[in-house]
Amino acid sequence: MRIVAGCDVGSLTSKAVIMSDGKIIASSIIKSKARPWESAESVMNEALQKAQISMNNIAFCVGTGYGREKIPFVNEISSEIACHAKAARWLIPNARTVIDIGGQDCKAIKLDEKGNMVKFITNDKCASGTGRFLEVMAKVLGVGVDQLGELSSKSKNPITCATACTVWAQADVIQHINDGVPIEDIAAGINTAMAARMSVLAGNIGVEREVCMTGGVAKNEGVVQALEKILGVKIRRIRNADPQIAGALGAALIAKEKLGEDK
Amino acid sequence: MRKELKEYKFDWMLLSCFSAASKLQNGTEKEYQQMLRYIPYFRGVVETVLSTGKPGQRFIEICAKYLDNLVNAKERGYHTAITTFCFSPIIFYAMDIMPICLEVMSVMLTFTYKRGSSDFLDFCNEVGFTETSCSSQRGSLGAYLAGIGTDIDMIVTDTPGVCDTNANAFAFAASYLNKPFFQLDMPPDLTGNRSDEYHREDYKALIAFLEEHTGKKLDLDRLRETLQEAEKQDAMIAELEELARLVPNPLPVTYNFFVYASRFLFAGMPECTRVLEAMLEVGRKNAAEGKSGISNGKEKVRSFFCYIDHYVQSLKFWQMLDEYGICYQGNILSRSWASNAPHVKEYGTYEAAYTLHTDDLDKLIGDIALLNSRMPMIKSIRGPYDAPHMWLQDTLSLAKMYKADFIVYNGTPGCRNTWGMVKLLARDTEKAGFPTYIMYADAFDERVQSWETTRDRFLEFLTVRRLI
Amino acid sequence: MMDAFLHAATSLENDYVKKWKSAGKKIIGYTCSYVPDEILHSVGILPYRIRGYGVGDTAIGDTYFGPFICSLPRCMLQLAGERKFAFLDGIIITPGCDSMRRLDECWRKANDDIQGILPKFHFHYGVPHKYADYTIKWFYDETVRFVNAVESHFNVRVDEEKLRNSIRLYNESRKMLEEFEALRCAEKPPFSGTEALAVIISGCAMPREEYNALLKNFLEESKALQGIKNRIRLMLVGSANDDIELVRVIEESGALVVADNLCFGARLYEDLVEEQGDPVFNLAKRYLAHNECPRRYGDYKKRLAILREKAHRARVDGVILQNIRFCDLHGAENGLFERDLEKEGIPCMRIEREYGPLVEKGRLKMRVDAFVERIRQKRREIA
Repeated sequence: MRIVAGCDVGSLTSKAVIMSDGKIIASSIIKSKARPWESAESVMNEALQKAQISMNNIAFCVGTGYGREKIPFVNEISSEIACHAKAARWLIPNARTVIDIGGQDCKAIKLDEKGNMVKFITNDKCASGTGRFLEVMAKVLGVGVDQLGELSSKSKNPITCATACTVWAQADVIQHINDGVPIEDIAAGINTAMAARMSVLAGNIGVEREVCMTGGVAKNEGVVQALEKILGVKIRRIRNADPQIAGALGAALIAKEKLGEDK
Repeated sequence: MRKELKEYKFDWMLLSCFSAASKLQNGTEKEYQQMLRYIPYFRGVVETVLSTGKPGQRFIEICAKYLDNLVNAKERGYHTAITTFCFSPIIFYAMDIMPICLEVMSVMLTFTYKRGSSDFLDFCNEVGFTETSCSSQRGSLGAYLAGIGTDIDMIVTDTPGVCDTNANAFAFAASYLNKPFFQLDMPPDLTGNRSDEYHREDYKALIAFLEEHTGKKLDLDRLRETLQEAEKQDAMIAELEELARLVPNPLPVTYNFFVYASRFLFAGMPECTRVLEAMLEVGRKNAAEGKSGISNGKEKVRSFFCYIDHYVQSLKFWQMLDEYGICYQGNILSRSWASNAPHVKEYGTYEAAYTLHTDDLDKLIGDIALLNSRMPMIKSIRGPYDAPHMWLQDTLSLAKMYKADFIVYNGTPGCRNTWGMVKLLARDTEKAGFPTYIMYADAFDERVQSWETTRDRFLEFLTVRRLI
Repeated sequence: MMDAFLHAATSLENDYVKKWKSAGKKIIGYTCSYVPDEILHSVGILPYRIRGYGVGDTAIGDTYFGPFICSLPRCMLQLAGERKFAFLDGIIITPGCDSMRRLDECWRKANDDIQGILPKFHFHYGVPHKYADYTIKWFYDETVRFVNAVESHFNVRVDEEKLRNSIRLYNESRKMLEEFEALRCAEKPPFSGTEALAVIISGCAMPREEYNALLKNFLEESKALQGIKNRIRLMLVGSANDDIELVRVIEESGALVVADNLCFGARLYEDLVEEQGDPVFNLAKRYLAHNECPRRYGDYKKRLAILREKAHRARVDGVILQNIRFCDLHGAENGLFERDLEKEGIPCMRIEREYGPLVEKGRLKMRVDAFVERIRQKRREIA
């Protein structure tokens, strides 16, 4: 079994995954730097260090993400959508619907029983359905983005949050804070708004079980539960890896395929 | 869409709400107060409407009646047509077709459901309709696309040439649901022989379409009866509008809404007449006493809405106007363009108006074609906004005549035709001396801008412009 | 040859326009494919399609249009405000859609602030939304009104014989474009979709005689070429696009756009104008019969049939359905197309975009890449 790697250079974060024998042996996440090749080098180095190997040990590496064409060390590149689809099946073997909410975009992918991409849809332009939306809102609330989920679980009376535009929503949230609305109700409103926007995309491709959620926002229980409520289906929680590295993981899985070590 | 929403027909749910609301005041005050606790989302509307006494009671009753007709239309042998607010329902009633007005249904949803029409708005997008489309149709359209409304026989609209997103919603629905579709197309000019002929020929094609899909011939005598009732209503509306010119305006803030909603639901039918009668009673009485229609009796400032109202948030917008003593001098939806309307007489704009000749059967089709071409929005938002008889002229002349102190634009982000020129309009109205406020909220979707922000920005405008 | 087309497609005041103006001749701009070029041609006026190409920012456009409006007319207004259309002697605005219809007022009002940006001749051309006896009559009357307006403003006369000649000349063009279309759909198309769009756009930006001559040569040369193969064949559908870069981005992902149904595209040249009978009436009939724009409410099935036929003729592997944000007409219809074409096994991808500088190139590319991968995956499955 040779060692493969995937490198996902996103707009906000960059991720790398190293796999051997079908297992993740190292992964890393860093904040993206100004230049994609710098992000790629540094995230990959971090992962290599964790795995205690060098780039020479990597038999095949696939790049993905916005900066994929600027990664110097990859053998091939692939779109994020294909990578997320691939990763989803590894994370949840019978996944048919993949919902990914990343930093600047979100997508819903439909897979057939073999795991082929049947259909996909991504959000358009605006950040209001993406992880960036949550980051902005968390900042306004003065909490960490990772606290939003826990906060919203305490809410009794969630607010209605504007979703048309992140900037407007921000103004709205400030208004609610000034009006003395409990922070957990605001957090819950934000999470529900996010879920509602995502549910439209998911509804668009038609949700089939199992549903797998990838991307950083999958770690926010508030959004996941709100989404479950709206879609009326259970979303399978990912236990075997960090959902945020799904893009890089998919890239590594494609690398493995390229070596002919799959199937 | 959430599964639970598909459990029941949405129009049946609305009927249950409105019919229960229409009986709320049958008991004692204590019982009434007790009941309100069980309808937290509908409560604001119920209180605002019923607090106006008989007109409000009758208004809720006709809403319930309309829904009852709608839900039972098929069983009672009627055909059903999805249609739009600016399409006069007179022709449908004259031909035993139940008009299902999407915008009215959307407003009813925002009034009664916890999350308003948001789930249905979103459902439209799920099935491929654009999220940038107007929320006024999308709200209830989603329910029909999801198959949780009464069965539909046909889809009819009259907004091509006036409002793309409206026309497009109906065209989309027809294709999605695979139903017969008819459009009345509006030429860019309102008046003149060419436009008159176009309106008339187009309307004849509409009648042919309706006859084809109902298998019934139009009975001119029945049409005459309906038009006679509409004539009566026009005269009553003219009297109400005449009353609104008084200072203080004796009509409560909500009356304007009652007028146009009643017309959208039941123009040409006695139900509408009854609501108008009740409003007139109160209006005449207040006028005789020199009383303002504002709840605390103090009219402080007069507003004219150049487009539509704000329906989300349980009528909080109206409550706010009332609370601040802001008298409501109408909007684009409420004005009748019958030749006896006060503003038509005042400015002599008879060519932009219509006259019904109910004594002459041969003229009926031409008359109703003309009436329909003078419906709200259809009349004044075609061609350029500053052309004769169009939006600018109407806004300025009405604001002046009804002594408005300021003008407000409120619509939806889906409204291409007004957002394309509202900045120009506001510039012109400001130049004419009317402080003008453009609201960025969505009249049907509170997720665009929350009520708190809407209220604060509105009040900020009033304060900055020293109107309050 | 291709250079001439690329030049005309990527500049507003191109060399042909300059030459025309320096000869002291007039140019009238219009915004919508429902305007009959032939009438202007017959009186020696160059019909020119107004575009939004090459906009940097939209500060002027934003001053007059509200925020929830399609970016195409906004960009057009911006260019007008920057005096980029100073060579126009007249403009025609049609109610093609609400956003475009408002260009009329916005342009006029902007002229109050930035004097001299509005040509003296401007005409609001009322195009009905359906096809029936009385709507053709309306459109005929409207066209006569247009003829009269041109005649009196420019002091010219629309001569029946000259108009017939113009119709013949434009029909010749259309016939050549049909040939062009056949080459484009071929198994190995001799030119890319990017080039094809440049060829089509050029037709709205240069004198017809010169265009026909260029086109003739282009067709002859193309026939001798080897042709492009082994690409994913796509059809591009939806909102107006006059930016060849959009097609280039798509083609960079290993695709070839072999068919389209765009307003600045194949829609311009289909259907001939009848040459017998009243020429004005024939023009009115042909232009109004133009059915491919979703502004013709209720005709979805006809448009679906057109797409279906094209998809088969051009053997496309997939369809990209794009719309400019706030273009609900194309956007909603794209939703229906997606449903119905996918049902028939034709992969579709919907994109909502902004018109103007391709700021979203990265996102667009990511999606096209994924779409191409999806199609390749499907091919592998079948293999």
